[in-house]
Amino acid sequence: MRILALIVVLLPLLPALATALSARARPLGTVSVVSGLATLAVAIVLTVHVGGGRRVHGLSGFLYLDPLSGFFLATIALVVALASVGSAAYVRAEEDRGELSPLQVRLYFIFFAIFASMMLASFETGSLGLLWVLIEASTLASCVLVGLEGKPRSLEAAWKYIIISSFGVTIALVGTLFLYLAASQIPGSPTEHLTWSYLFAHAAGLHAESLRLAFLLALIGYGTKVGLAPMHTWLPDAHSEAPSPASAMLSAALLNTGMYAIIRFQALTHAELGTHYAARILLIFGFASVIIGALFIVLRGNYKRLFAYSSVEHMGIISIALGFGGVLGLYGALLHTLTHAIGKAVLFLTSGDLVLRYRTRLIDDVRGVLKVTPLTGAVLLLAALAVAGSPPFGLFLSEFTIVRAGLARSSVVLVAALLVLLAIVFVALVGAVAQMVLGGFPDRPTDGPAYREPSARVLAGTPLVAGMVLLLLLGLWIPGGLDRLIMHSIHAIS
Amino acid sequence: MSALAVVESLSASSPEGVLLDLAAVTMLLCAFACLGSKLFDRYVIYYGAQSIVLSFGAAVVAIHQHDAGLWVLAGLTFAIKGIGIPYGTRHFLIDRFALKRDVSLSTGLSSSLIFGAFLTAFAFLAIRAGTVGNALVAEAVLPISTAVILLGALCMVVRRHTIAQLIGWLIIENGVFLGAIATVSTFPFIVEAGVFLDLVAAVLIMIAFVSGLARQLAEASAPELRQLTE
Repeated sequence: MRILALIVVLLPLLPALATALSARARPLGTVSVVSGLATLAVAIVLTVHVGGGRRVHGLSGFLYLDPLSGFFLATIALVVALASVGSAAYVRAEEDRGELSPLQVRLYFIFFAIFASMMLASFETGSLGLLWVLIEASTLASCVLVGLEGKPRSLEAAWKYIIISSFGVTIALVGTLFLYLAASQIPGSPTEHLTWSYLFAHAAGLHAESLRLAFLLALIGYGTKVGLAPMHTWLPDAHSEAPSPASAMLSAALLNTGMYAIIRFQALTHAELGTHYAARILLIFGFASVIIGALFIVLRGNYKRLFAYSSVEHMGIISIALGFGGVLGLYGALLHTLTHAIGKAVLFLTSGDLVLRYRTRLIDDVRGVLKVTPLTGAVLLLAALAVAGSPPFGLFLSEFTIVRAGLARSSVVLVAALLVLLAIVFVALVGAVAQMVLGGFPDRPTDGPAYREPSARVLAGTPLVAGMVLLLLLGLWIPGGLDRLIMHSIHAIS
Repeated sequence: MSALAVVESLSASSPEGVLLDLAAVTMLLCAFACLGSKLFDRYVIYYGAQSIVLSFGAAVVAIHQHDAGLWVLAGLTFAIKGIGIPYGTRHFLIDRFALKRDVSLSTGLSSSLIFGAFLTAFAFLAIRAGTVGNALVAEAVLPISTAVILLGALCMVVRRHTIAQLIGWLIIENGVFLGAIATVSTFPFIVEAGVFLDLVAAVLIMIAFVSGLARQLAEASAPELRQLTE
């Protein structure tokens, strides 16, 4: 299993190696698809292994996989697979139109590969120090993707992203430092004092004051990566300016990586500080994010920014679920992580088709998607309904679970406030997407088919259909294996 | 041996303690000097000087603890943060684009310095006595490192040029490293080396972005970065 853990990190790097042989989007895209699907297969094998409650240890705690790591590993590997297939089609289309030079094509596949690899590696380490290093490395790789087009707008977004994220993640490093300080009272080596499983086993001996500060700083630091308000300001810019498959990775994978770190820190606080301390802070940041997300979704304007603010809102919902706590709250948080990841990956991949076809990111300039490109239009509408929390899709089930957790463990007022905010988001998001999808042909001419070759069309459509089918299945039925995995994940952190 | 036990012997009155204290104070002065300047090459010089003093501080702790890993980090700090990054920033950005005077300040220099003084006082008041044990060098150094972090953040806020923001972030990072060596000596070497690698990669990417922005905009200054507002 240790070998597989290594392979799952190395496999996504194949396209980066292939750039030494070619700078053309077609062969590199093929390698990207193969490596993305192979990564998903290996990640599933690993997840099935740890899903029953087993652990994988090694390298003095630097390698560590438990069911929670397995859950996130499989979720992110799924997003990587969907985005790899989407990338193959998108980059080919951009190359055909002369929008990307050979150097940019190379850079795209190199940094996409490093981005995926670093994210997957961050779920496989037991060291909270190395976790920081890997999360920062994934941020840096994704920054290059955001600034890839080299236009003033994309460079501006990339600059904001790198400077705000690096500042935020530096705060998380200070949080990690305080955790290390909090652990100095318990026996063990310096390496063990940063090893999550060791700290979790000795959590009752951690120094309370330092731990309090460590959690707060880690939440603010990693919360910047997650996009929790008010540290979310980089997120809409970066998501709107990155190439769409990279936006899908940012929203559906990177944000969850930050959330994973927060969950690990939260689990360490329970024994010494009780559950209320972390819960209260998570609820505050969670509600702030849902409110900010809802406000900006109502404003509309640019559809990629709209989806980005929807990510801020959903990260807020996951925070709220963690704040509600208990088995139901954690179950809802994890299920929502998975369903949101799939839904948002699909939404951003459809936005790629729109960018290619309409050459605009403004909602008001996009009309009649259903007539112009029926598959993209249908998936866009269904995905928007799903992400807004409509039945029968998976996000409805996860949000329903979170609301039940709130009713069981928190106040009715908070749950009612959450429901009102969700209703506002539903109306605004579905309204904006319906305006783009429905209606007659657009007033302004479109740019011709998004994908010229039939094979590229199939590649672009596959992740959309696959994602929607998964979302529908998860709304109707949760497989026994997934249920066991989530329950064992909850057990691993409580 | 636990991390805190290692630094417990590093008391404020020991020769190493006095040296580390002195290094911390010099770093604080460098941060103030950076805040009080508006010439791009000065920013870089003060940052380089601060990093060299930091490497000296790391060497003092390395001598005290006979820690080979910390020696390596002290050497890396000297070579990369003290010389490499200042040289790279100067060569690839400041000289190449003939940048002289930072004109995009949101407040005057004197008000920035007064703000800085308030933040330093706040850092000393906020870090309560006894947080990490009495008579330890950490007790004096931790508030200073917090002040350096806050001054770096202030640099990022009051200076709007992308180079100034880059230097501000690097000053923050120096403050974090100073706090780390004074309180817990250091993280395990692999982690510390990873942090270093990330820093170098971040600086390289930032230099590439700033140079891209400088080519396309007149000033590469944050007020010009206003296309993405909603």
